[in-house]
Amino acid sequence: MATIVKMPKLGTTMTEGTIIKWLKSEGDPVKKGEIYVEIQTDKVNIEDEAETSGVLRKIIAKEGETVKVGDPIAIIAEEDEELPDLENVDNISTQSQEKSPPVSQQQEDKTEAVKQTISDKIKASPAAKRVARENQIDLSNVIPSGPNGRIVEKDVLSYIQEHKVKATPVAKKIAIERQVDLKAIQKSPGQRITKQDLEDQIIQDVDNAVDNTIPVIGMRKIIADSMTYSKKVAPHIYLSLEVDMSKVIDLRERLIPLVQAQHDVKLSYNHILIKAAATALRLNPLINSSFTEEKIILKQHINIGLAVALKDGLIVPVIKDADKKGLAFIAKETEELIQKAKSKKLLPDEYHGGTFTITNLGMFDIESFCAIINQPEAAILAVGKIIKKPVVIDDEITIKPMMNLTLSCDHRVIDGAVGAKFLQNLKQILEEPINMLL
Amino acid sequence: MAEKLYIEALREGLREEMLRDENVFIIGEDVGLYGGAFGVTKGLFQEFGENRIIDTPISEAAIAGAAVGAALCGMRPVAEIMFFDFFTIAMDQLVNQGAKNRYMFGGKAKVPMVIRGPMGCGTGAAAQHSQSFPAVFAHFPGLKVVMPSTPYDVKGLIKSAIRDNNPVVFVEHKLLYWTKGEVPEGDYTVPIGKADVKRDGKDITIVAGSIMVPRALEAAQKLEEDGIDVEVIDIRSLKPLDLHTVVSSVKKTGRVLIVEDDPISYGWGAEVAAGIAGSEAFDYLDAPIKRLAGLDIPIPYNPNLEKHAVPQVPNIIEAVREVLK
Repeated sequence: MATIVKMPKLGTTMTEGTIIKWLKSEGDPVKKGEIYVEIQTDKVNIEDEAETSGVLRKIIAKEGETVKVGDPIAIIAEEDEELPDLENVDNISTQSQEKSPPVSQQQEDKTEAVKQTISDKIKASPAAKRVARENQIDLSNVIPSGPNGRIVEKDVLSYIQEHKVKATPVAKKIAIERQVDLKAIQKSPGQRITKQDLEDQIIQDVDNAVDNTIPVIGMRKIIADSMTYSKKVAPHIYLSLEVDMSKVIDLRERLIPLVQAQHDVKLSYNHILIKAAATALRLNPLINSSFTEEKIILKQHINIGLAVALKDGLIVPVIKDADKKGLAFIAKETEELIQKAKSKKLLPDEYHGGTFTITNLGMFDIESFCAIINQPEAAILAVGKIIKKPVVIDDEITIKPMMNLTLSCDHRVIDGAVGAKFLQNLKQILEEPINMLL
Repeated sequence: MAEKLYIEALREGLREEMLRDENVFIIGEDVGLYGGAFGVTKGLFQEFGENRIIDTPISEAAIAGAAVGAALCGMRPVAEIMFFDFFTIAMDQLVNQGAKNRYMFGGKAKVPMVIRGPMGCGTGAAAQHSQSFPAVFAHFPGLKVVMPSTPYDVKGLIKSAIRDNNPVVFVEHKLLYWTKGEVPEGDYTVPIGKADVKRDGKDITIVAGSIMVPRALEAAQKLEEDGIDVEVIDIRSLKPLDLHTVVSSVKKTGRVLIVEDDPISYGWGAEVAAGIAGSEAFDYLDAPIKRLAGLDIPIPYNPNLEKHAVPQVPNIIEAVREVLK
């Protein structure tokens, strides 16, 4: 029995998935439980297991293609089994991760599906079908005028007439010589394609040929959508200050061997920043909140996201309840999450549910920058590089390792003073790290 | 060219063949001095005498049997059955003898005979004298079946039928006898197994036979006033059946209506429809093939009901419109 494999639902928020890689080719045998395809969902890549054994007979969704959850992506069947017509997909057993309904329900659905298929089938006279075939017309685009919704020859002919590409004789001649598809040239209805249109098209084709393109799919699309959304709905204000990192540096030096011994990870400034921010957030609950049209939600948990740059995007794994965890444990957990993120193995739960985000570009020598809030959070902290600077203390110039912090706040929730107070608390904690123990 | 009645053209054909070939003779009930129940053989008894125009007792089996025997012995009999309904009585001789002999004697025997008679309703002759069932004979291998619809065709086809070396069932329609048409003087033949385009058109093909041909032509003329261009094919021979002419026409028009005088079930129209559906014309069909034929009932005596039993001109017009919808 042929199985139509559908795009699985791999997380509660998943609505579509992108095929990253088929690990099997058409004609390869697959075993139940064997990993045979890599799917990119929301922000992660997931290797999907075959739910049935057989031969991967047909790949429906090609690599790079984005498919809605529940839409067919492949057919697994016996080697010489006749493949089902995809129009009749609903009639055949389908692999999906949702729980199967009871048998009686299934049968009802099946009858319904058969009825549906019959009514979905395009009715066209043999003559209409022949003309459509000869002219490579998709009959689903043709409006039927015959009895019982039947497409007749006349309907196809008028469709062809309406969609006929009109061009001047010179344009047609150039099109043939230069192998330009006249259909690709947009022209308002009734207007003929001229020589000028054709020359413009040729130039455009040449331009397109030079530039490489990257399809906006998967993670790229999610980043584009969510950043645009945040900037659209949230009026950002930016607060900036410099922190003397002397004591953090000293603390880190001392803690490195201890954390190393305990969890075999190297304590980083980010780990300390997570702990410090969590402590400051506990003192400033409005920063750890979410704006909705009706109410501002003050989050019970302090879940700190850390932006991790990837080769083709970025992802924000979340360290949950960071305020309740010790530095060593935060270090261990953060490093594990970063590793998972880089190999695209994060599970949806590991990058959802953040309440505040830290983004650090210090390693790229960035001194300060303004970040876009990761909705539905209310603020994001942008961290710059620790740089030794001359500072004036007690009217004397001294050299101190300084680090810029820029807080982007959603002004719908956080007023300037509220944001400033948080930032000041954070500065105090970092300059006197002993405060983290409070 | 002279205009003649169908019955005159048929008689002329018979007479010319009798003059041409002394082996041709006519046998039947009241075909002699009386000239036949409908007058087809009127005057022939006086011209050819009782040896070539033979009156028989009322026994269609005897008429058919005598004709088969005479044909086997080298004569060319033309047997008249007074009403087509009684072909059923002649059937055993015709089907089990006439149709089989040539095959059973390995081609050494031939059965050059014609058996003819008038079918059809419209004269108030009730259920036993009004039937049309020519398709029944087309079912039997060894028989040829023709049913000319015009004076020209009836003369040409009776000559071909008489000259054919196989038994030919020659079907006339009572109402056609008194229709007129141009008929050339002298000898000509119309080939058996060849349909005829009686009217050129491009919107729809009507395939009709016998009495339905003039009705289809009348319908076509009325439809022309509405700008509907109907092609009318006279099937003329049921066996052999000329599908080629039909298929070419349907490829041109894409729509087809088949009009028969017989009861619809298992009629010859079904054979034509199946032929079209299975041919290269299939890809040119723009509407389902439609059949219009007699009802599945014995022909009623009541003249109003009788009219409704078989297709009339308004029914054909309506059916054409339906196919063109």
